[in-house]
Amino acid sequence: MKKWLIPFYILVAAVIFTGCRKELDRININPNEPTVPEPEYLLANGIKSNVDTYWGSDATMETSLLYVQYWAKIQYPDPDRYIPASTNIQNVWNNFYAQGITDFTTLIQLGDSLKQPGYKATGIIMRSWIFQVLTDLYGDIPYTQAGKIETYLTPKYDSQKVVYNGLLAELKEAVAIIDANPTASVAGDSLLLGNMQGWKKFANGLRSRIALRIADRDAITAKKVFDELAAEGNIFFKEGDRDARLNYLTSPSQNPVGKNRETRNDYRISKTVIDYLQAYNDPRLPVYAAKPADGGPYLGVTNGLTADSASRLGFSKTSDVGSVFTVSQAPAPLFTYPEQLFILAEAAQRGLYNGDAAELYKAAIRASFKQYGITGNPVDDYLNQGSVKYDPANYKKLIGEQKWLALFSEGIEAFTEWRRLDYPQLKPAYTGVLSGKIPVRFTYPSSEQALNGVNYKAAVARQGADLLTTKVWFDVY
Amino acid sequence: MNYFRRLLCLLPGLLWLQQSIAQEVRVSGVVTSRADAQRVPGAIVRVKGTNIGTQTDPDGKYSINAHEKDTLQVTSLGFEPTFVVVGSNRVINIFLDNSNRKLDEVVVTALGISREKKSLGYAVQELKSKDISEAKETNLVNALAGKIAGVQVTNSQGNLGSSRIVIRGETSIAGNNQPLFVLDGVPVDNSQLGVGTGRDFANAISDLNPDDIAAISVLKGPNAAALYGSRASGGVIVIKTKTGKDTKGGMGVTVNSGVTMDKLLILPDFQNSYGQGTGGQFSYKDGKGGGLNDGVDESWGPKMDGRLIPQFFSNGEAVPFVPHPNNVKDFYVTGYTMNNGLSVGGTSEKIDYRFSYNNTKQQGILPNTGISRNTFAASNTFRLTPKLTLSTYANYVRSAADNLPGVDGRRGNSVTLQFIWFGRQVDVEKLKNYKNPDGTDFNWNHSYYSNPYWIQNENTVGLQRNRFLGNARLSYEINSWLTAAFRIGTDYYQDRRKYRVAYYTNGTPFGSYTEDAYAVSETNGEFTLNAKKKLGSDFDIDVLAGGNLRTNQYEQNYQQAPRLAIKGVYTLNNSRDPLVSYNILNRQKVYSGFASAQVGFRNYAFLNLTARNDWSSTLPVSYFYPSVNASLVLSEALHIQGDALSLLKVRGGWAQVGKDTDPYQQVNTYPFNTPFGSQPLMTVSDKYLNKNIKPEITTSTEVGIEAGFFHNRARVDVTYYNTLSRNQILLADVSASTGYLKKLLNSGELKNHGIEVQLGGTPYISRSGFRWDVNVNYARNVSEVLSLDADGFLNNYVLGSSGNIQVIATKGQRYGALFGGAYARDSEGHILVNASGRPQIDPNKKVLGYFTPKWTGSINNSLSFKGFSLGFLIDTKQGGSIWSGTNSTGMGTGVLAATMPGRDAENGGLPYYYDGTKNVQLPSHDATAPNGAVVKHDGIIFDGYTADGKKNTAILSAQDYYKAVYSSSLNESAVYDASFIKLREIKIGYMLPQSLVQKWGLQAVNIALVGRNLGYLSKHTPNIDPETAFNTGNGQGLETLQIPTTRSFGFNLNVSF
Repeated sequence: MKKWLIPFYILVAAVIFTGCRKELDRININPNEPTVPEPEYLLANGIKSNVDTYWGSDATMETSLLYVQYWAKIQYPDPDRYIPASTNIQNVWNNFYAQGITDFTTLIQLGDSLKQPGYKATGIIMRSWIFQVLTDLYGDIPYTQAGKIETYLTPKYDSQKVVYNGLLAELKEAVAIIDANPTASVAGDSLLLGNMQGWKKFANGLRSRIALRIADRDAITAKKVFDELAAEGNIFFKEGDRDARLNYLTSPSQNPVGKNRETRNDYRISKTVIDYLQAYNDPRLPVYAAKPADGGPYLGVTNGLTADSASRLGFSKTSDVGSVFTVSQAPAPLFTYPEQLFILAEAAQRGLYNGDAAELYKAAIRASFKQYGITGNPVDDYLNQGSVKYDPANYKKLIGEQKWLALFSEGIEAFTEWRRLDYPQLKPAYTGVLSGKIPVRFTYPSSEQALNGVNYKAAVARQGADLLTTKVWFDVY
Repeated sequence: MNYFRRLLCLLPGLLWLQQSIAQEVRVSGVVTSRADAQRVPGAIVRVKGTNIGTQTDPDGKYSINAHEKDTLQVTSLGFEPTFVVVGSNRVINIFLDNSNRKLDEVVVTALGISREKKSLGYAVQELKSKDISEAKETNLVNALAGKIAGVQVTNSQGNLGSSRIVIRGETSIAGNNQPLFVLDGVPVDNSQLGVGTGRDFANAISDLNPDDIAAISVLKGPNAAALYGSRASGGVIVIKTKTGKDTKGGMGVTVNSGVTMDKLLILPDFQNSYGQGTGGQFSYKDGKGGGLNDGVDESWGPKMDGRLIPQFFSNGEAVPFVPHPNNVKDFYVTGYTMNNGLSVGGTSEKIDYRFSYNNTKQQGILPNTGISRNTFAASNTFRLTPKLTLSTYANYVRSAADNLPGVDGRRGNSVTLQFIWFGRQVDVEKLKNYKNPDGTDFNWNHSYYSNPYWIQNENTVGLQRNRFLGNARLSYEINSWLTAAFRIGTDYYQDRRKYRVAYYTNGTPFGSYTEDAYAVSETNGEFTLNAKKKLGSDFDIDVLAGGNLRTNQYEQNYQQAPRLAIKGVYTLNNSRDPLVSYNILNRQKVYSGFASAQVGFRNYAFLNLTARNDWSSTLPVSYFYPSVNASLVLSEALHIQGDALSLLKVRGGWAQVGKDTDPYQQVNTYPFNTPFGSQPLMTVSDKYLNKNIKPEITTSTEVGIEAGFFHNRARVDVTYYNTLSRNQILLADVSASTGYLKKLLNSGELKNHGIEVQLGGTPYISRSGFRWDVNVNYARNVSEVLSLDADGFLNNYVLGSSGNIQVIATKGQRYGALFGGAYARDSEGHILVNASGRPQIDPNKKVLGYFTPKWTGSINNSLSFKGFSLGFLIDTKQGGSIWSGTNSTGMGTGVLAATMPGRDAENGGLPYYYDGTKNVQLPSHDATAPNGAVVKHDGIIFDGYTADGKKNTAILSAQDYYKAVYSSSLNESAVYDASFIKLREIKIGYMLPQSLVQKWGLQAVNIALVGRNLGYLSKHTPNIDPETAFNTGNGQGLETLQIPTTRSFGFNLNVSF
């Protein structure tokens, strides 16, 4: 070999290997999944998958719906005795964080990078709603460091106060973005059908909801929020508005409750709801409850029976929840007009909002009835009952009970408001395992102890033992 | 041979020389093989310590000049060296024994390179075709069980399904730990596709026809397998197929026919006193809660004493409630395997050829399950010119099954789940007509299950697999010492599966239909240049260099009609919903350059070096994998070989190998979800990938010693190894609050070290031809997970789980820990009970055992006399644990016989009554309770202590007791010692006498009776086989209601002519 050829050989070898490397890199481009996100599809998925979680088995059917005694179990009754399956608790956390927070964080970033402020605003609002639900359920949660895996592999927990305050600021920012970009739009929005004003009302509704949530703890901030909302013109959902709800479709896009009823027969309406509806002659009874399969009067099931006594009641002799809630296409509301009215009624009562509490309270009940097509005389009769009639001295009981009846089947929000208002007064599950108590939060999923142990321990040290019976920050009474 | 020819030429001169020195005698005789009484031509007869030697003639005769008291040394390939002292007798007939360990034994090593075993610096163990084909295992992996030190095989469930093989313990925490399979130098696939679909699909290597295999050589670890670079960490199984050369004479035809029967080896021991129900009560109305506890799928019901109760078949009429003790057993059928094969082979000057065909038909032990397989193979060698040789191999395998058994306790497709959640009174015979006139299913329960016959006959999973394995190799002798070779090989298969779920199946009222199709291929092109040269008289050099180009492709197409539109038609069009579908295409390409060198010194000292560099498409940069090993045959080097010491060899080596990752692990993706109506949905993947991913690297050191004594009648081979595997590729769980569920980490270290001992002995040989051989294998592996991640946030890595119990790798512990709910105990170790007298569960999960055994071993005895042979193999695994779903569930549901204690007065139950708030114990069964309360006789007190240190006195009903102790969150009660000793195999063979066979114009006739998995000599797991697997992954040690294992008996006839 001629020595002067050596550099040439090296060059040839280098070219060949560079070529090979390129070929290898080309082969390793994933042909199965896109590597670039599409904002429309991301928003659509974020809405669908998180409403599924909010309305689904883990956060609702197996937990909050039972705790707040809307539903009861007639099969596999452990969850109804306050023994939640660890997978349920885990799924709520995993789905909201890994599908919710990440999808919307990515959407917010895309809104910036693609200069599409609509996506940024909707991303912030949806992410804030998820964080609000998470902190409602768990108390202290990772918030400021959440969803930033490149920086924080073990995000710290923020106190509930920090979370709510942060969300109030974020929601305000989202509203400001919508106001500043009147032409902004989004596609893929099955929640508010691309109506940016609807998103603004949803954001304001969440602001009012959070303000009221913290009112027992921090009345000054609560007042400040309502004042800001007033200064911005009190833009809330009005009668006739499309409120924030997902209208489910037929299989496979059906409501999680509908999907459950396709194959399972584990739930019945709780005796507690039936008792209230009957005591108040509530015309919503035939909407909320179904007649037993064998016929006969409505029969609810007591929460927290043992497997034996539950099965002895008989599947065909007890009432399921009404078909409005169990069909495939049952809508899943996240924030409704009646809820807005209840919030404003209570805010007015508390002096946070400038309005007539009694009128707003009545309007809220009317709106709830109207949702189920009940109008006219039955409504007036209902409102004139002594047990329903508004009484400022007794506002927590009245608003608590009526809001609870109005939010029927929206387990998480009802569970949270019941904790705050302490009405209706519920009796603990018959064979509950919490020594006569009812859960007032979810426990953290066991994965957090294993994967985020240091921060988990700090949160528990601050908030109190990681039990179903430990009150979260907003829950003063 | 040249050497001997030269030697023979010298002989006359030497003889003359000898004669002139001393008085010599002429000794002559015949050399015969003791095993088959055939004469041995070409054997070398030498006077020990001299240069005098000769060869036997074609009739095995020899004559040689020697002195009295000289020792004659007779050697021949395939026989033990034999020494005979010259006495007064001038005729010395010499019998040779088959070699147990031929000193010049040649084994197949990495890349299919044949090497003298003595030159290797690592452990390698080989199985011959007889061991494989006679085992009559349809899954080739099972044939290795108990035969090779350090190889662990976990048998599949039932008689169909997968088997897992691991050599020397796991080196990868999360990856595939099974060895690479290489067929005639070309890697072949052994994946198990479709894990997690509720069926146990057999691993792909089970496609091979055992009758086509000439030898299997097990390269036990990185040291032996180093030339495979990034695929070497789990060791390599090198398979050599039969060729025309294996045929004796010009042309041979072999016909093989066998039948094997499979019977249940074990079934849970059920109780036959109490039937379906709860709290002692039951009455059937609709099987889903309409009657009295008739939705309950447990056996805590009334006593089966003939009392009259409406039952599922009686249309509301009260009929006798009686036990059917064999109701589960009667559901199973006898499985069988029929195996028929034909091969034609031959050799001539220019061509070696072999064609084979095999048909295997297998019927499972569950009704309506089975699989059939047809294999065609052709192997040819063409010596095109004296220098140019072309070898080709082609194998086509077609597997087809109408239905494969379901696994893993799934309601829709597994009947074992239903039998452990069962009413013991149910007569399975009455379920055989499983369909009602309206097409719905007729069953004992409608809350949870469809009729088990319905599941077997209507909810089927079919499979069709077409596989082609082939290679062609062209080699050219450039000159006397240099050979070039090019080989191209491919393994391609398509696997289509069809899942049917019928209308009216419980839980899926509209049924469903799924088609799942795979196409898997691997192609390798390889070029090698091999130089063999003698340097001077002392050194032999063998250098090989080459390159390889590998392409892998994996494709899956999945389509499901989630709810059928009309019943009974299984097509994807028959759907009331949009189809659920996805497809996956994975491709990988690897360029490799490799080299190996062997330097031999005087044929007793050897140094081996290997190197490989892999450029893989899955990794951002390339990696280099070197190894070095050496062998020294001390017995030859120090001339200490003699009657007592036949062989002494020491060996050792070091290697660094890798483990590649899967494609597409670098860039994050945004997968699609099922559209919402017509709205496409896209999400951020919950996996955070790794831009800088590196391969797992295993560094291994190995030393060993081999020795043979008394003409190799006693043999020992001991190996010690030590491996450290770092850069573990872990798709680790991270806190979901990071926004992701998993992050691809490249950290963690796993250490293994261990010892392997093989002992071989021939305790007895008689002149009449009786021979007894014993082989003992022992292997101990100690593993330790040194670390999991660099940040230290990851305590555990989950390898598998079933309900609450997990199999994990956890820092500082043995690999494969069972991690689950444990009893809460006080400081003295007493189990704590709560106020109701139930055992408390520790709030923190605990390590309850390890699935990885401490040691494994086997003893194989074989006896032969003339044409008869008898072999029996006993093997054991010791020191592992298993969690049993059968026991955990079956104790809670009250179906197992072990739930009898305490259920009534006769079975030791205590008397008590319920006072409205708690159970109160009574002094005797005759006592009456206050206020007319009902006296019950099924009381049990859990042996535990209350939190304040008092002995528990709270009494529970038997039902509550067993449900509490075996609750799904208390796993400790169902973790057992998985140690066992099993009678793995008995073989009885008879080779018809040559004289008789030749009269019929045949070459050989062999008859064999084989029994496999015959029984336990020891086990500690009630109701189940401690050896059970439902997939080939790392999450072992969980028995999740798998189909019981089987014992099999087979008969085989092999005729060649």
